[in-house]
Amino acid sequence: MAAWPTVPLLINLGGSLLGFAATLTLIPAFTDHFLAARLFGEDLNKTSRRPVPEAQGVISGAVFLIILFCFIPVPFLRCFVEEQCAAFPHDEFVELIGSLLAICCMIFLGFADDVLNLRWRHKLLLPTMASLPLLMVYFTNFGNTTIVVPKPFRVLLGMHLDLGILYYVYMGMLAVFCTNAINILAGINGIEAGQSLVIAASIIIFNIVELNGDYQDDHIFSLYFMIPFFFTTLGLFYYNWYPSRVFVGDTFCYFAGMTFAVVGILGHFSKTMLLFFIPQVLNFLYSLPQLFHVIPCPRHRLPRLNPSTGKLEMSYSKFKTKSLSALGTSILKVVKILHVVDVRSGTDEDGEYTECNNMTLINFVIKLIGPTHERNLTLLLLLIQVLGSTIAFSIRYQLVRLFYDV
Amino acid sequence: MAAWPTVPLLINLGGSLLGFAATLTLIPAFTDHFLAARLFGEDLNKTSRRPVPEAQGVISGAVFLIILFCFIPVPFLRCFVEEQCAAFPHDEFVELIGSLLAICCMIFLGFADDVLNLRWRHKLLLPTMASLPLLMVYFTNFGNTTIVVPKPFRVLLGMHLDLGILYYVYMGMLAVFCTNAINILAGINGIEAGQSLVIAASIIIFNIVELNGDYQDDHIFSLYFMIPFFFTTLGLFYYNWYPSRVFVGDTFCYFAGMTFAVVGILGHFSKTMLLFFIPQVLNFLYSLPQLFHVIPCPRHRLPRLNPSTGKLEMSYSKFKTKSLSALGTSILKVVKILHVVDVRSGTDEDGEYTECNNMTLINFVIKLIGPTHERNLTLLLLLIQ
Repeated sequence: MAAWPTVPLLINLGGSLLGFAATLTLIPAFTDHFLAARLFGEDLNKTSRRPVPEAQGVISGAVFLIILFCFIPVPFLRCFVEEQCAAFPHDEFVELIGSLLAICCMIFLGFADDVLNLRWRHKLLLPTMASLPLLMVYFTNFGNTTIVVPKPFRVLLGMHLDLGILYYVYMGMLAVFCTNAINILAGINGIEAGQSLVIAASIIIFNIVELNGDYQDDHIFSLYFMIPFFFTTLGLFYYNWYPSRVFVGDTFCYFAGMTFAVVGILGHFSKTMLLFFIPQVLNFLYSLPQLFHVIPCPRHRLPRLNPSTGKLEMSYSKFKTKSLSALGTSILKVVKILHVVDVRSGTDEDGEYTECNNMTLINFVIKLIGPTHERNLTLLLLLIQVLGSTIAFSIRYQLVRLFYDV
Repeated sequence: MAAWPTVPLLINLGGSLLGFAATLTLIPAFTDHFLAARLFGEDLNKTSRRPVPEAQGVISGAVFLIILFCFIPVPFLRCFVEEQCAAFPHDEFVELIGSLLAICCMIFLGFADDVLNLRWRHKLLLPTMASLPLLMVYFTNFGNTTIVVPKPFRVLLGMHLDLGILYYVYMGMLAVFCTNAINILAGINGIEAGQSLVIAASIIIFNIVELNGDYQDDHIFSLYFMIPFFFTTLGLFYYNWYPSRVFVGDTFCYFAGMTFAVVGILGHFSKTMLLFFIPQVLNFLYSLPQLFHVIPCPRHRLPRLNPSTGKLEMSYSKFKTKSLSALGTSILKVVKILHVVDVRSGTDEDGEYTECNNMTLINFVIKLIGPTHERNLTLLLLLIQ
C-alpha cells in the first residue's frame, strides 16, 4: 500500500480554502460589472423584480482555474526537490494539463453561451468540442478501449469487450450528459450549485475510501480537482442559496458537468460517478417526452409561485388536444394511468385543450407532497440527492458483486 | 539534418484553411447574437452611427482552438501508426497541451474583459494568470534559466548568466507586453488584425528558414500554432478591413499576444520575436508618458475624423497647464524641442490650457504626413510593420 501524497493534498486543500474566500469576495465585487453588461435575470418566483446577476459560475470557475494553475507543479515537486522519481511522470503531468484544458475551454464556451444566448443545438456541440482534448489525452496516455463485461452478459459477449471508437463516443457523450443533466434539474434557488456540492462531496468520499485500494493514483488525481471544485462552488452557493442574490448561469452547469466528466473518465470510475447522478438520470428520463418535443416543451419548466400562499405549485404545459401526435397521446395515457403526471383536459375559447405538469423531478416532488415553500422544496431535493448518493454507495460496494468480481 | 514532418505540417495547413473558411462563415452568422447581447461599438471615425459587432476575436479564437484540438494527436501519429518512436515524446505533448491551455485561458479572460469591461489593472493581471500554465510547463520540461550573455556585456557578466526566477518574470512579462502592445497600437479600421497578420507571417517565414537549422523541432512547434493563427485572423481581417463591418475587441489582442508569447517562449526565440515587434515597441515607448498618466491620458487616443475633408487628423489631449507635474512639464518641453509631439498652448474660459497630440505611433504618422484617409493610414502603418 503506497503512502498518501499528504503534502500535495494538504496544499490542494489550502489552495481550495483560499479559493472559497476568493469566490466569497469576488462575487459581490463584480456585481456592478455584470449588471452593466446586462448579464442579469429576474427571479420568476419572487414578487419583486429586482435584477439578479447571472452567469456567476464564471467567477467560481475562474478562481478554480487559477488555484489549479498554481497547483500544477505541486504533485511533481518530489521529483525536483527530493529527486524521488526514476523518470519524470510526464503522462500524469499531461493528464493534469489536458483536464485543465477541457475544463477551461468548457467554462469559456459556457460563458459565451450565457452572453450570446446560443441555441439548443449548441448546448450539445459545445461540451463535445471542449471534451476533445480529454479524448486526445486518453488516446495518447491509455488508448485502452476494452471494458470488463458485467456478469449477466458474459454468456453472450465474453469476459472482455473492445468497444473501439465507441469508447470515445461514450466519453464524449458523458461530458454532454453531465453538463445538460445538471442544467435541466434547475429553476429553484440553489438547486444547481447544491446538487453539484452533493455530487462532489460523494465523489470525494468515494475517492478517500478508495485511497487504500489498488487504484490510488486515479483517486488522488480526482481529489486534486474535486476539492477545489467543492470549495469554489461552496462560495458560489453562499450567494445562490434561497433567496438567491446571484444566479449561477449555464456557465456553472457546463463547468460542473465537465469537471465531473473529467475525473470520471481519467479516474476510470465513470460508472460509479453516474451512480451519483441517479436523481439527474431520473429527471432526464422523466423529461424525455418534452426534450424531444413529443409533448410540447415551454421555455421555462420551473414550478410557479402562488402569490397568495407564497408556495410553489406545479407548472403546466398547455396545448391543443388535437395538436398532439399519436405517440404523444399514448404517452399521456400511460403516464396518467401510472399517476406520474397530472393530466387535465378542458375547453376554452380556442377549442379543446389538454394540460400536463411539466415533466421535471421538481414538479413531481410537488405532485407528491403538495404546494411547498421554495426553500423547503430545494432542501428536499438536495436530500433526495444525498439519498441517491447513499444508494449509489450501497450499489457500488454491495450490489456490485452481482455484476463484477471484486 | 532531420526530415521535415511533412504530413503533420500539411494536415495543419489543411486544417488552417478550413479554419479560414469557418471564420468567414461564422462571423456573419453570429452578428445578431452579439448585437442582442449589446456587444457592439460605434465607429468613432465614421459619420454614420451604425452598431458594429465587437469582440469578434472570440470567434476566430474559438475556431483556432477547435482546429488545434483536432490537431493534437497528428504530430504523434507516427508513434501509433508506424511505431517510429523509441518512447512516446510526452514532453512535446505537454508543450502542445500546455500552450493550448494558456491560449484558451487568455481567450476566455479576454472575452470576459470585453463583456464585463474590467479595469486597467486587470489588463495586466489577466495575461499573467493565463501565462501560469506556460511557466509551469517550461519549469517541468526545461527548467533552464541560463542565458547566453551578449558579447558587449561578457566582460562584466561572463559567458552565461543564470537569471533564476527572473527568467520566469521575463516570460510572464512577455505575455503581458505582447497583449497590451497590440492593444495600444489600435483605433483605425483593420490595424489590430493587420499588424498581427504581418507579425505572424514574419514568424512563419523565420520558422521556415530555421527548419534547416539546429533547432528544427522548436520551429516546427511554432509553425503548428502560427499557421492556424494566420488563417483564422485572415478570416477576421476580411470583415475588419476598412470599412470595418466588425471590431476585433480586446479578446483578439489578448489572443494574439498570448499566441506570440507562447511560440516565442517554448520555441526559444523570444528575442527574435520581439524584433518583429519593433513598431509596437516604438509605440509603447512613445506612449509611456500617457500610460503612466504623467501626461493626461484620455479614454480614446485614436485619430479624429474631420467630417468636411473625410480625412483623419491627430487627436489631442487637453488639460490645464497648471495641473501638470514638474516631470510632465519637463517631458513636454523635451518632446516639443525634438519635434516629436505637437504642443500648443492657449487660454479659454477655464484658464490657461495646453494641448498635445495623443502620443501614439498613429498620431505621429499623421504629424509627419498630414491628415490622411483612414484606409491609407492603416495601409501605411502595415507597411511600417
